[in-house]
Amino acid sequence: MVAITRSLSPALVGERLSAVLLAATLGIGLLFVSGFAPVVALHNAAHDWRHAHNFPCH
Amino acid sequence: MTKRLLAAALVAGFLAACVASALQFALTSPLILAAEKYETAETVAPTRVSANALIVFAHAGHDHGGEPQWQPAPGLPRLAFTALATLVSGVGYALLLGAVLVAAGREVTPSEALKFGIGGFLAASLAPAIGLPPELPGIAGAALESRQLWWVATALATAVGLYLVAIRRGPAAIGLGLALIVAPHAWGAPHGPEEISAMPPVYAAQFAARSLAVAFAFWAVLGLAFGWAWGAVAGTKGTARRSEVSA
Repeated sequence: MVAITRSLSPALVGERLSAVLLAATLGIGLLFVSGFAPVVALHNAAHDWRHAHNFPCH
Repeated sequence: MTKRLLAAALVAGFLAACVASALQFALTSPLILAAEKYETAETVAPTRVSANALIVFAHAGHDHGGEPQWQPAPGLPRLAFTALATLVSGVGYALLLGAVLVAAGREVTPSEALKFGIGGFLAASLAPAIGLPPELPGIAGAALESRQLWWVATALATAVGLYLVAIRRGPAAIGLGLALIVAPHAWGAPHGPEEISAMPPVYAAQFAARSLAVAFAFWAVLGLAFGWAWGAVAGTKGTARRSEVSA
């Protein structure tokens, strides 16, 4: 079982690749909205989070 | 696997956001509110505004001239929006953590996910904080874009460096990894003009320390919760784990 898992692990193919790409894209999108988006309303809504977690903020 | 990854990230992001929100309300939000009093006092004086015109423009969120911009009302609405931003970021970071765990081909357990979570703290919190320490409102910095660029580059370089050092191993990988971790700091973070603020320095020192403490708790819970949720999601589906191995 361990051997099968190991032999599968290096290959980023099929479902594993699509899961990783989807999660990474969604994750980066959410972090952009909460941490980096220059829109003033988004900045103000997330202001205290950005300061507390050291995102460069104004 | 996609559903399992998304579900585990939602659970982990929610749990980490609950813990981080409680800590933020207790530790960092009071300092931000206290600092904003000094910020308002400084910008009210006309000489300060004209001397800091660039900073005033960059800091558009606090109605320094021009049209008033939307911002959450003080008190509960502000806390609620902070918690919402924490939740959005928590799920975002959990998705990235899960993507890295799956891409690295690691068996996802709470202890393994915790290690990657601590890696996330080092890459996204501690390394950028060395060059750009967590700052309270009202402290002048370099141009926002240059700081954001340095922040992202540092987080990425540290993450890749940690991967090379901790997972790839081997002399060449460790050498390259260490070089990547050190490079952003050798290059240097963008710094703004050094100004003397009326704010007591203890506020800034407390804020920097508390911010990193909150970030560590956030990442630790995120990692542990992701590892737990990954197993729990599979448990509810019964044969999910077996079918994955045989696939």
